[in-house]
Amino acid sequence: MKEFMMIFVGADYADLGLSPEELQNRMGKWFAWGDKMEKAGILRGGKALTPQIRRVVGENRTVSDLTSTEVKEIVGGYYLVEAKNFDAVQDIAQDYPDYDLGGTVEIREIMVFNQ
Amino acid sequence: MENKLIDHLFRYHSGKMVSILTRIFKLSHLNIIEDAVQDTFIKASISWRNKQPDHPEAWLTQVAKNRVLDIFRKLKTEQKHLPNINQGTDTIAINDLFLDTEIEDAQLRMIFTACHPKLDPRDRISFALKTISGFNIKEIASALLTKEDTIKKRLARTRKSIQKSNLKFQIPQGKSLPQRLESVMEVLYLIFNEGFHSNKQEKLVRKELCGEALRLTQMLLKNKHTRTPAVYALCALMCFHSSRLETKTNAENEILDLKNQDRSQWYFPLIELGNTMMNKAVETKAFSCYHYEAAIAVEHLKAKHFNNTNWDKILHWYQPNLVGTLEPTHLLTMAVVCMQKHDYKMAKSYLDQLNQDNFEQRSYLFYGTKADYYIKTNKPDKAIKYLDLAIDTVTNDSEKTYLQKKKLTV
Repeated sequence: MKEFMMIFVGADYADLGLSPEELQNRMGKWFAWGDKMEKAGILRGGKALTPQIRRVVGENRTVSDLTSTEVKEIVGGYYLVEAKNFDAVQDIAQDYPDYDLGGTVEIREIMVFNQ
Repeated sequence: MENKLIDHLFRYHSGKMVSILTRIFKLSHLNIIEDAVQDTFIKASISWRNKQPDHPEAWLTQVAKNRVLDIFRKLKTEQKHLPNINQGTDTIAINDLFLDTEIEDAQLRMIFTACHPKLDPRDRISFALKTISGFNIKEIASALLTKEDTIKKRLARTRKSIQKSNLKFQIPQGKSLPQRLESVMEVLYLIFNEGFHSNKQEKLVRKELCGEALRLTQMLLKNKHTRTPAVYALCALMCFHSSRLETKTNAENEILDLKNQDRSQWYFPLIELGNTMMNKAVETKAFSCYHYEAAIAVEHLKAKHFNNTNWDKILHWYQPNLVGTLEPTHLLTMAVVCMQKHDYKMAKSYLDQLNQDNFEQRSYLFYGTKADYYIKTNKPDKAIKYLDLAIDTVTNDSEKTYLQKKKLTV
């Protein structure tokens, strides 16, 4: 078994102007998805990120503070899951609730460096 | 499942759920949170009557998560402040709050909130029993021997103070922690004593109160910031006292004093646990009042028979340089101990420092001890006078019977 990270990229709910009902509906789906993975025993962790961004770029170390409205897509958080391969994680990622909002799931394998 | 077990499970879980949900929605929405939790349990108890879930605890946690969404909707319709949800991923953070370690953290926060100095000391116990231990108003009233209306008022007043002072839902840090921890221990010990000393309630209620106090004290010991020698000593003290809980009354719920308790029935595992706790408590030299009270409780447990009690040693633990300031209850106990040692002169010198006003609604304890003194020193007239005063002021029926029986023997 290997470990994979699902990184979630999408727009801020508030910026999309979601109604509280819609918000609540989506939260319900996220909870359900988390529970499903937990029940399957494949969940190894996860974290959410706040929408505040500070960027340090280039040789001059140019600093800029950004909000989610200024960057169209923002990394919202990640889940760590245990799976056999990319295909298996792709299956898990089918339940990601925000595809219809243009959201993205990026699947990456956790590197284990043992030669 | 038996109804009593369901009650117990609900009560236990309601404290957890209220604490977690308060972390998510803040103390300002405590009303809505408590209503939502109560509603959950009403629904659960109806549906469980037909079919009980395989894993009741997991079931309840799941329901609590769903409550997050319900409260969300409710706050929206009431146009109240909602927590900030930016992305679906925020639910990952909320989910974390339902992990066991985080649940304990939330419950500790609630204990420390209940003991906040901005809250009236008299209101703290009621509030703690409601929000942490999941007692309903009727149960709190019967546990604290108070009218339901009074409890309602106390709870309302507490909620108001929380709003007004904008209390934060957290465990205090740095300098304010030791002081608040004092207050927490005091409240827990009071809850324990309500269970241990009051014989008016059913045995079940008393056990529940003592058990809650012990559980919450153990929770303090699990957290490295609140794991202090004094808390260990308090835990030891509760274990030692609890080991005698079953033998304090007979089958007819009549009081048996220390002299007449069946010592073979004292619950040994709790004594052992108390010893373990006490060993931890004395790893440093910082002794608290709980250390001395625990040491005194041990002396009673050590004696195989009442007559073997080492009264000198008990009196030693009461010396003012050890206990700090002597409270009226200490002086009264010292007088009782002196009488056991037949040192009536000393007993009188302690009694003379006291009057009934020191004990307020427990003045019958003072009168009863005075009566004992006059019985022992062969002054039946005076003994009867004080027994009558005691009988007049005691509120507890079984204690009244005890005193009346005693009067007949004078």
